[in-house]
Amino acid sequence: MTTDNKLKKNHPQKANWVPGVLIAIAVSYLALVQYIPAINVFFQAFRKGIIPFFANLSTPQFLHAAWLTLLLAAITLPINTVFGLCAAWAITRHKFPGRAIVISIIDLPFSISPVVAGLMLVLVYGKRGWFGGFLEATDLQIIFGFPGMLLATSFVSMPFVAREVIPVLEEFGKDQEEAARTLGANEWQIFWRVTLPSVRWGLLYGLILTNARTMGEFGAISVVSGNIIGKTQTLPLFVEDAYKQYETEAAFSAAVLLALLAVVTLVLKEILERKTHIQDVE
Amino acid sequence: MKASMTLETNRKVPFWKVFIDNVIHLPWTWRITIAYLTFMLLMPITALFLKASTLPTAEFWEIATSPLALATYNVTFITAILAALLNGVFGTLIAWVLVRYDFPLKKIFDATVDLPFALPTAVAGLTLATVYSENGWIGSFLAPLGIKLSFTRAGVWVAMIFISLPFVIRTVEPVLQEMEHDVEEAAWSLGASQWETFWKVILPPLFPTILTGVALGFSRAVGEYGSIVIISSNTPFQDLIAPVLIFQRLEQYDYAGATVIGVVLLLISLVLLLGINFLQAWSRRYDNR
Amino acid sequence: MSLWQRSLQQLQLILRLNSLRNFVSLFLVGMFLSVAVAACSGGNQTLENGKPKNVEFTLVSFIVTRDAYKAIIPKFIEKWQQEHNQNVTISQSYGASGSQTRAVIDGLPADVVHLALGLDTERIEKAGLIKPGWQREFPNNGIVSQSVAALVTRAGNPKNINTWADLQKDGIRMVTADPKTSGVARWNFVALWNSAMINNQDEGEATEFVRKIYKNVPALTKDAREATDAFLKQGQGDALINYENEIILAQQKGLKVNYTIPDVNISIDNPIAIVDQNVDKHRNREVVAGFVQYLFSSEAQVEFAKVGFRPVNKEVYQTQEFIKKYPQVKTLAKIQDLGGWDVVQKKFFADGGIFDQIQSRNR
Repeated sequence: MTTDNKLKKNHPQKANWVPGVLIAIAVSYLALVQYIPAINVFFQAFRKGIIPFFANLSTPQFLHAAWLTLLLAAITLPINTVFGLCAAWAITRHKFPGRAIVISIIDLPFSISPVVAGLMLVLVYGKRGWFGGFLEATDLQIIFGFPGMLLATSFVSMPFVAREVIPVLEEFGKDQEEAARTLGANEWQIFWRVTLPSVRWGLLYGLILTNARTMGEFGAISVVSGNIIGKTQTLPLFVEDAYKQYETEAAFSAAVLLALLAVVTLVLKEILERKTHIQDVE
Repeated sequence: MKASMTLETNRKVPFWKVFIDNVIHLPWTWRITIAYLTFMLLMPITALFLKASTLPTAEFWEIATSPLALATYNVTFITAILAALLNGVFGTLIAWVLVRYDFPLKKIFDATVDLPFALPTAVAGLTLATVYSENGWIGSFLAPLGIKLSFTRAGVWVAMIFISLPFVIRTVEPVLQEMEHDVEEAAWSLGASQWETFWKVILPPLFPTILTGVALGFSRAVGEYGSIVIISSNTPFQDLIAPVLIFQRLEQYDYAGATVIGVVLLLISLVLLLGINFLQAWSRRYDNR
Repeated sequence: MSLWQRSLQQLQLILRLNSLRNFVSLFLVGMFLSVAVAACSGGNQTLENGKPKNVEFTLVSFIVTRDAYKAIIPKFIEKWQQEHNQNVTISQSYGASGSQTRAVIDGLPADVVHLALGLDTERIEKAGLIKPGWQREFPNNGIVSQSVAALVTRAGNPKNINTWADLQKDGIRMVTADPKTSGVARWNFVALWNSAMINNQDEGEATEFVRKIYKNVPALTKDAREATDAFLKQGQGDALINYENEIILAQQKGLKVNYTIPDVNISIDNPIAIVDQNVDKHRNREVVAGFVQYLFSSEAQVEFAKVGFRPVNKEVYQTQEFIKKYPQVKTLAKIQDLGGWDVVQKKFFADGGIFDQIQSRNR
């Protein structure tokens, strides 16, 4: 499947140039596809210097949008983590026919266009939707309120944890779990002491991706939030708002802030690496 | 935890009873999974299907198979598959480099892999359209070669690559991290070349994981809307993607028509995902020695 | 009989199975409830005349009006405070006109809607949220802001594009938003069609006229803003059609644009309407009506005019500043001249309409 033409087949000795070439290919591909476009965002944000950048990021409208985005992520993350771990465990630890079907169903939220995801929620909870009458009567605001936005973000970021943990769980840890079981550990102990440590990387990546997706989600949110400034406006909506107003710098400044989530990733990884290192020493 | 997932239909006990019994004795992980999936996924999807089914069959069929709609499915799915495959190759390579080699700034590279992922899609679209346009940072180098990316189908492809690359990298990375070096070293010491080692020892167990990454990347590319709509010229029969059709239907207040396209997209994605996931399951069986 | 008993037993069994699961589910339910409770709180004091001390309402508008409202709303709040001794809070939502319309129909609690085209307001009316006859409730048929279509060219106009008809020429590339996805892009199409009609062409000739123009379109963008970007930032095309207010706003934000206002043009009318059903529910009609009334005043119209809209108020239009800024258009058509939005939408933009026909012939 994956052939790399740059690699010659007949190279019996440990070739020292291979890592170099591979690194070069990897970095240049990343640069072409991801970094140059991303750097362009930074470039646009700081085009007028650093002071306007901070001025753009201190308006009450922006601060509320940032707070709301963080709040959504803070609630979505644990919910989807619990679900993801349960689903991954259930799928990998029980042999049953139709596993591929269940996995495909879990994958679905990705392939559903955000516009459709929003539309589906409207069809269920909207004024003319299934529960429209009930919600109207009880005066609950799901769509165009916080609950609806929570549903939308949870929906689009649902598969990550499950999908990241499943391959790792399939690859490792079953024998150790069995061993722990014969030693009389109960399910909880096995989960905490054996399974979780062995899937920590997959779980971490799942969390990182979930978080990024949650914060960056635009399509579905824009359908179900109503984009009320200071109430239901998240950062991506703020970005669009500013951009459509020809306030390009403000838009890109907020986008930069979202992109800096990667730094959070970095910190998390470092912490985890140190921790595991200490454990390994013990 | 002894619940078997197989539903045996016994003649004496009615089927539904067995089913309910099975449901009752499900492990709690399954319960949470099923409850969450039902509430979050199946209920909205049912709403979508029911709305689409309010149209008479003939009309449903007409909307779903109009020449324009067929062209958009082609653009959406074929381009997404191409993007996912290319990322399958390069994503694996990048994951490999990030896990196995040390080089300056590696940590930065590793951390910034998801950087584009956190960008709102509209910003991603804007920056891509700008960078790859004829007077952009990358596009200006390609323009003399006669390559146009922004506002063409190739631009759609670029946007899909951009969106789905982190998936492959982040799916392969953890598995590589857990893989032991000893097997490789054993192979080397037995005189295998690096290439042979990779091809015969590392790739087979890794292959299902790569497929998982490809499946994720593919489905994400199919669902992408915000960035593609900016970098594509939205010309029918050339690079108009299916979600835009849905949007057009909504602009005409044709909710039912919008759901028809949505349902078709969903079904095609499901079939393709099933294909990839079955292939994945099969390749796993194949290397379970 | 025994069935429900058994199911009850089973329910108990489930509950006993695992307290953690219950905890998790209860936690989730609790979280949802607390969010719901938090969403509907807030005390309410009353004034001597029995009216509430604090009033609030929600304004839903299309995107380019935001800058005008930024200036108008504080003025209105101050004025209302002085005249009625009430504190007004105005929640605002700005977005694409069509999306905003759908949101209001699907339950966005808007009290007043200011949309880009009458078609959208009529749709909310059809959904039963706005009572018929809203056009007569306020001055000027409810049209609170106006604009015209502008023709933007490259610096120095190298391709010599001065009229709509010049856009048909071979080798000209023209950027515009997609009438199928952008409500306001329909105004552009109508402006082109109308210019053909004014030149005494029959419908067949007019169709051919717009077909030739749309054949020259390299990119149909999703909305007006992206059209501006494709033209200016990504260097697409030789000409761009957009609304005058959009272009003026872009100029004010520092973009360099040179444009002309063709003599044969369409009056782009943006109506405002009170969403009766929501206002009745929120019991805030007095302040909402006061706000809409205020928007037609000279004070508010000046603010609209500053950000690129043509004032609907004659006094404001006569001021030196704006006469220069908004040159009179010789032949200005109204959408009513073409039969109104209902007719126009069906004829041009619905499935299989004239726009679809020219697009399929241009393949």
